[in-house]
Amino acid sequence: MTVDVQYYVLLSMAVFCIGLFGVLTRRNALLFLMSVELMLNAANINLIAFAFYHGNLTGQLFALFTMALAAAEVAVGLGIILVLYRNFRDVDVTVPTTMRW
Amino acid sequence: MMIEALIAVALIGALVTFVAPNRIAGKLAFAISLVPAALSLWLFGAFDGSGNALRGGELAFESQAAWLEIGDYSISWFVGLDGISLPLVVLTTILCTLAIVSSWTPIDERESQFYGLVLFIEAMLIGVFSALDFFLWFVFWEAVLIPMYLLIGIWGGPRRKYAAIKFFVYTNVASLVMFGSFVALVFGLGDVTSFALPEIATAMLEGGPDGLFGLSGTTLASVVFIGLFLGFAVKVPIVPFHTWLPDAHVEAPTPASILLAGVLLKMGTYALLRFNFTMFPDQVETYAVPIAAIAVISVIYGAMLALAQTDLKRIVAYSSVSSMGYVILGLVAYTQFGVGGATFQMISHGLISGLMFMAVGVIYNATHTRMVTDMSGLADRMPIAVGVLIAGAFGYMGLPLMSGFAAEYFIFFGSFGSELLSYSAAFTSLAMFGIVIVAGYLLFALQRTVFGPYRLETDYEVGRAPAHDVASLIVLLGLVILLGVAPDLIFDMITDAIDPIVQGGDL
Amino acid sequence: MAMASDPFGFAPAIAVFPLVAFVITLLFGRHLPKKGALPGIIATGGSLVVSLVMAAAVAGGGEHHAQLYEWTAGAAASETGAETVAFTFGILIDPLSALMLVIVSLVALLVHVFSLGYMNAEGETGLPRYYAELGLFTFSMLAFVFADNLLMAFMFFELVGLCSYLLIGFWFRTESAPSAAKKAFLVTRFGDYFFLIGVVAIAATFGTVGFAGEGSFVTAAETAIEDGATLFGFDAQTWVTITGLLVLGGVLGKSAQFPFHTWLPDAMEGPTTVSALIHAATMVAAGVYLVARMFGYYALSPTALAIIAFVGGFTALFAATMAVVKDDVKQVLAYSTISQYGYMMLGLGVGGYVAGVFHLMNHAFFKALLFLGAGAVIILMHHEQDMWEMGGLKDKAPVVYYTFLAGALALAGIVPFSGFWSKDEVLFDALAVGLSEPVILAAYAMGLVAVFFTGFYTFRMVFLTFHGEPRSDTAEDPHPVGWAVKVPLLALGTLAAVAGLVNMAPIAKLAGVDITFLEFWLDGEYGYVEGLTYHHYHETVAEMAFEESYIGSETTTMLLSAGLSLGLALAGAVTAHTLYNVPDPDRHTTKLGGAYGVLKRNYYQDEYQVWLAEGLTLPLARAADRFDQTVIDGVVNGTSTISLFGSDWVKRIQTGIVTNYAALLVGGFIALLLVFGYLGGWFA
Repeated sequence: MTVDVQYYVLLSMAVFCIGLFGVLTRRNALLFLMSVELMLNAANINLIAFAFYHGNLTGQLFALFTMALAAAEVAVGLGIILVLYRNFRDVDVTVPTTMRW
Repeated sequence: MMIEALIAVALIGALVTFVAPNRIAGKLAFAISLVPAALSLWLFGAFDGSGNALRGGELAFESQAAWLEIGDYSISWFVGLDGISLPLVVLTTILCTLAIVSSWTPIDERESQFYGLVLFIEAMLIGVFSALDFFLWFVFWEAVLIPMYLLIGIWGGPRRKYAAIKFFVYTNVASLVMFGSFVALVFGLGDVTSFALPEIATAMLEGGPDGLFGLSGTTLASVVFIGLFLGFAVKVPIVPFHTWLPDAHVEAPTPASILLAGVLLKMGTYALLRFNFTMFPDQVETYAVPIAAIAVISVIYGAMLALAQTDLKRIVAYSSVSSMGYVILGLVAYTQFGVGGATFQMISHGLISGLMFMAVGVIYNATHTRMVTDMSGLADRMPIAVGVLIAGAFGYMGLPLMSGFAAEYFIFFGSFGSELLSYSAAFTSLAMFGIVIVAGYLLFALQRTVFGPYRLETDYEVGRAPAHDVASLIVLLGLVILLGVAPDLIFDMITDAIDPIVQGGDL
Repeated sequence: MAMASDPFGFAPAIAVFPLVAFVITLLFGRHLPKKGALPGIIATGGSLVVSLVMAAAVAGGGEHHAQLYEWTAGAAASETGAETVAFTFGILIDPLSALMLVIVSLVALLVHVFSLGYMNAEGETGLPRYYAELGLFTFSMLAFVFADNLLMAFMFFELVGLCSYLLIGFWFRTESAPSAAKKAFLVTRFGDYFFLIGVVAIAATFGTVGFAGEGSFVTAAETAIEDGATLFGFDAQTWVTITGLLVLGGVLGKSAQFPFHTWLPDAMEGPTTVSALIHAATMVAAGVYLVARMFGYYALSPTALAIIAFVGGFTALFAATMAVVKDDVKQVLAYSTISQYGYMMLGLGVGGYVAGVFHLMNHAFFKALLFLGAGAVIILMHHEQDMWEMGGLKDKAPVVYYTFLAGALALAGIVPFSGFWSKDEVLFDALAVGLSEPVILAAYAMGLVAVFFTGFYTFRMVFLTFHGEPRSDTAEDPHPVGWAVKVPLLALGTLAAVAGLVNMAPIAKLAGVDITFLEFWLDGEYGYVEGLTYHHYHETVAEMAFEESYIGSETTTMLLSAGLSLGLALAGAVTAHTLYNVPDPDRHTTKLGGAYGVLKRNYYQDEYQVWLAEGLTLPLARAADRFDQTVIDGVVNGTSTISLFGSDWVKRIQTGIVTNYAALLVGGFIALLLVFGYLGGWFA
């Protein structure tokens, strides 16, 4: 049995919007990072769903790439958060505002 | 390959000087700079070109090599000299050598970088005057700004940052206008596929641009003419685009002032001659009256401003504005003597303003002031340097048998009876009044500074100027007198290159 | 021998000798004996010898016109059709220039000798500079005199101006000398501005600047007038008048004619030898000489001639009245110089070419004499120049007194001293023309009245200086003068007494003998250059400009004119005698009433010219500077200020808070989406 492709799209849209909501409202850097991951995975869902739909494996291949990228991103992101914490004793993203002009 | 050798010697010299220890940098740079100076004099002797570089003339020391292909357009390394550019190259190398000598006394920190930059600017200036491909020329044109910016910004006076940034931004914005205009012109010229200036000039005379962005061919040519004129006007500078000049001069160290007034200003007039007045004969005719009006205003207004100054450097700076006005008047007259005189004035003013700035620098080194109001009776303490300063001042006033008179006379004679310019006699007569005002402010300054009872309160003895400074002053004075007595030394080759321009575009 | 066959080959040496002396003195003057006087004396002596040879050759029927060197040449379409133009240096030796060469080199030699006594003996510093500048001056002046074209004349005209500037400012450690030097150069420069326009205009009109021959601008102008050509939008004669008057600007400046006369009295700040050489005998004469040199051009324009005559007559009177109240002996001489050059202009302006040149020659001798005499007096008086401190020098320095007296008699125009003959001829010529031209008659009347003042101030000066009782301790016990002072005085004293004998026109007419040698000289009886003779000028003037008429016969008019001027000169002298030739003279200034103040202040001429410079031009320049700093530079700085202000405002959206950036990102994405959607027609 197959699920229609529009449900996948709906799911991915929902995940993406949750992630976006998180990015726009959360102040905790860890939650921020998790929200970004959600958005990334929403894209992955799309990729895989459409690859399946079209019968073309390229999309799935790209999803693998994206996962690898996400892993790297998390590594870097966590590193930044650690440094943030060390410098500001906090992981609130609105506190460090000096990186401008 | 001689031009490449010239540029290469100066560039390598700049590198070597840059890494040399500060202690020997000055002498080393002087020794290196003698090579291009001698080489350019040799070029002068061996010059075998004829005609105008952009009008199918026979180029001397020409060399061309493919460089880049961009789309349909090709850009090449293309250098060569004609009767207009060769004297300017010689002027550049000689003034650079003398500027180096005149920095020995005042420059006492980061010497190797200073002298390296001077040699670098020399290489770029030679490039500007010899390049015949627009892109190559533009690269040199812009590259001149960087060392000058640094020379003013690092070794300058108290307001050096302001002056350096003003100089850089102002002239750079102007370059942008100029660059945009010219590239638009090239795109508008249908069958031109390279940026070689001779090819573009030929295409301009053989019908002009086809049009671009919905503009007709003639409108495009006029727009480009105005764009180029504005772009170069800042460099010259022509009133009202002159205000960067006094600030830059006042803050610049002496050698930078010498190069700025002596050579950098000539880039503007040289480019006007090469681009506006060679490629756009029709537009020159259309806009002759407004351009002549601007020239006269530059002459009189610049001289009036000089009259109001009390800082010696500001006086000479504003008087440069005035002298450059004569160049514009000569160019717009569009006669052999007018345009030839304008070119002669570029050389002459280069020598004389170099001489004046050098003399003012020598006085500053001795007295640590440039204010007319602070000085009195310097002739008592530094007779030879002051003697040369007086001679230079009279050269500036256009004393006969000095190059300034020859240049001004050629310009006035050429523009008085100009056929292209309406009201030419009236414009010329008005502009000539500059020779009275220039006498006014220079004599006034001389009276206050070098004459009168010696009255300068310093906690040390003001003595004679160092021998190397006096020697370079005398070299310049000698050149000024030589060209005044025998203008044909260069005027012949200049007019040879001018003739194809002013006699119309029959190729 | 080459010399015998063509003595003119040596003509360039006249100018080259002093040039060499200049270079030698400039480089080695400090190490030479007499601090550089000797090269100068040898050089001017050499110039004098060669000049005399030239004069002899001209007397033998020769003339010389040769190009020395081509300065530059090129293509230039002129109004009258010439397609090319050449600017050259050339030599023109004709009777006029040969005469002037002798005058200049002679006076220069005598002044050099006198300088030994005036400068060297007085222990001045800076002597090498002094002699070098004198050498440069002599070179420039001689080259100016033999110039064969207008541009070369202009160039050396400017160079003598430079030398004048340098020499007036010789004592540069004072406040006044540099100021006077600056004023002299600026005022003459103002005149030279017009001169240069004139040169450029003539060159552009006729395509030539030559004085003589077929290719001269004078010939070209004649042709243009005959052809009825239109030049620069004017008819040919009007254009000749305009260009002639432009050149005249330089003449008025250099020859110190109204309104450019103000620099000459100030120029007395220079050493007295310089005043004698430059500001009396030679450089100031350059202006008048130039008019004589291109007289054929002025002869084409009655308007220009009338203006020359009127300015001359006016200046003669104007300056003479100012000389009356001066206390400084050099000031009196300065104003008298201005006045005498006025006479020359008057003479030339009425077509009296011979009269003008004659007076030029005589004046060179007697005014150089008077200045050198004044220099001797200044030595006697230990550098005191105020005549009221002098008195009674007559017996203490007889050589100085008698030579000075000879000069004074010549200046006042007392028969038979030189000045009488030439001044009389000038006035006679003016009267003859004036009888039919009211403007010239006015000029003549002013010149005539000036004769009275000349007699008065001249003898006032003589009496105050030499007669009466000594009025100060230095006058009681004057400093002695040496041979170097006396020899030039004696030489010039002789000339002042007898130089007039070369052209005794009244005697010639009365007795009917041919003794007007100067007229023959200038008229081409000996050597001459075609078109540059008195004869030719006279015809041109008669044809183009003025006709002469007489009261009764020519002889009656002449006697009337001579009697009037001599009578007035004597009246002036007698007035001075009654007022000042007393043991203890009074100033008598109250008799002048309010006029005294006006005369003492030189009719406020200096005031208005200083006002023009300092009251008008300088504030104007300052206003221009303020305008430049505030408006023009304000716009430049304003552009950068606006850019900075704008970026200051825009940069506020960079808050540094990550969440805001994310929101902007999303907002921007949505906005883009909407725009593309709208353009793609989703909402249509």
